[in-house]
Amino acid sequence: MSFIKRKWSAAEADEWTKEDWLTIVISPLAYILIMIGVALSFLLLWTGFIILALGIVATVVMHWIIDPKLKAISDEYETKQKEYILELERSVRWEEENG
Amino acid sequence: MVTFAFLDWFWLILFLILMVGCGVLFYRLGKRSESDFFLAGRGLPWWLPASSVYATHTATDTPMWVTGVIYRYGLTGLWYTFFSAWCAISAFVSTRIFRRSVAYTQAEWNTIRFGGLGAEMLRGWIAGWQVFMNMFILGWVGIAMGKICYLAFGWPTWIGLVSFSSICAIYVLAAGYWGVVMADFQQGIIAFSVIIIVSIWGVIAAGGPDGIVTKLAGMGESWRLDPFAFSGWFEGDFPAIWFVTMLVIAILGGFGMGTSIDWYPEAQRIQSNKTVRDASYSIWWGALLVIARNSIWAIAILGFYVLFPNIEQTSEYELGWFRIGFEYLPTGMVGFFFAAILAIHLSTISTHLNLGAVYATRDLYKHYFKPGASEKEVIWFGRIATLVLLLGSFFYGLMMEEITSWLIFALWLMAAGIWLPNILQVVWWRFNAWGYLSSWIANLGLSWLVVWILPEFDILPKLLDYQQFWLLMVLGAMVYIPVTLLTKPENMDHLVKYYVMSRPIGWWGPVKKEAERRGLLSQIAGLKQGEQE
Repeated sequence: MSFIKRKWSAAEADEWTKEDWLTIVISPLAYILIMIGVALSFLLLWTGFIILALGIVATVVMHWIIDPKLKAISDEYETKQKEYILELERSVRWEEENG
Repeated sequence: MVTFAFLDWFWLILFLILMVGCGVLFYRLGKRSESDFFLAGRGLPWWLPASSVYATHTATDTPMWVTGVIYRYGLTGLWYTFFSAWCAISAFVSTRIFRRSVAYTQAEWNTIRFGGLGAEMLRGWIAGWQVFMNMFILGWVGIAMGKICYLAFGWPTWIGLVSFSSICAIYVLAAGYWGVVMADFQQGIIAFSVIIIVSIWGVIAAGGPDGIVTKLAGMGESWRLDPFAFSGWFEGDFPAIWFVTMLVIAILGGFGMGTSIDWYPEAQRIQSNKTVRDASYSIWWGALLVIARNSIWAIAILGFYVLFPNIEQTSEYELGWFRIGFEYLPTGMVGFFFAAILAIHLSTISTHLNLGAVYATRDLYKHYFKPGASEKEVIWFGRIATLVLLLGSFFYGLMMEEITSWLIFALWLMAAGIWLPNILQVVWWRFNAWGYLSSWIANLGLSWLVVWILPEFDILPKLLDYQQFWLLMVLGAMVYIPVTLLTKPENMDHLVKYYVMSRPIGWWGPVKKEAERRGLLSQIAGLKQGEQE
């Protein structure tokens, strides 16, 4: 079994796992690298191009890790959403609920 | 003063036709249902709300304050603009949880997460506060447009305020959120293109990238190219501790909901996505565009600094990016530049018109006054609320000079004392409505004391922003943590329902256990058992 899980059942994807935590760490890092990288690359500084490249790699890796899980969550959730919306419309009407 | 040639007028009129055209084009879709008027039927692919996230967060005053911090601090000033980074974690945590709740607004989410009287009080408070805030933001951004029109054409400020917000209201009134998001998509493309073009023009005017680097070195100002050139760990006007505080606020804030003022418009965009995955990507990529835009702006402002290094007045150097556009672009392109400024302006105005209207309609009118209202009635009330917000924004805009400092103070208060409770409400099952409500009330009192009253009587020294933040966070916790623990937890049935629906992150052990005991998570248990066999 690989370190990063790539095949998820809907029920497994509902749990918070190491793939989520890796994404939580990589995502802000990607933002920081891209912010600095874009600025310095615009000045044609070689450090900027390297930092920007690292930011892009971080972004790709992050998506590679989290995308299969997000797909599994979405596929399962869409089947329940209609029911939840109907339930929401009923439950938030405090006048009916409280008589 | 700017004079328009034929081509300039052509760009401007074409742009306005495109925007108002959105209202006409999507009128039928907008009036189909409440969900269409406020959430585009929850059916959008991620890139549409992402462009809206980007367009909305590029307001008329944004280039001014980005220019202000970069002109003053060089590339280190980028950290001031890094607050959008709350989306880094939020996209995969609170966005996911909020999208699963299917709440229209943050106020409504409070009645899903909490229950009983406390939840109702929170919903009413947040809805009322959001209606006010959206009207205020409309006035703030509107008067910024009035000032730009005065700078460019010499018009009285009220003309810029009233005319363009009114044009914007046409497509928001007609098509609701459909009009907003479709116009935002076009506005996002126009604004980003023009930001790149004007910035390149500014860099060229300053001698090109090499010229900027060489000239800064010649002026003994090379530190401006260093994003980490702080004034010290604790001393100076930009200490590293302030940078750390901003990183904590921005990044960890993504675990919560409402930790940034931008959460409220984003919450609407999150719900308008067709799936949870789309919601995550719309927030992540929209914020990335904002962050990349700030970097592009920053370099243009470094160019502006090289051209005009000795401007002392903040109000003067803050207009640097606008000056590059109006003074350096060739004839025929100035109209395109002004159309982009309008794009920036209209995207913010349209968002806040529709967002204020959803709180007024869904959370106040429909929830408290007419729960049985038909879809048609709700949409019409939404339109009336949009119109009231528009008229209110004119009033705020014209009196803005007097109230701005008070309201900026109010925004800062919100960021400080409510930051941690906004996270706790997502990650800790035991945090209840009374705890959250008490944090709002405590914060209101404590921040007045810490920021103004105690320093005025020399009981407390005047503290720096980051010191205020940490102190208010600790003092607030001394109120809402005891209140939470001394009052009953939320009803377990309510919590289980919320848990099964939203699957929140954090400390939800007892609720999860109860959901499993009731067999509501049996699918997972069954699967795990199956795997073991």
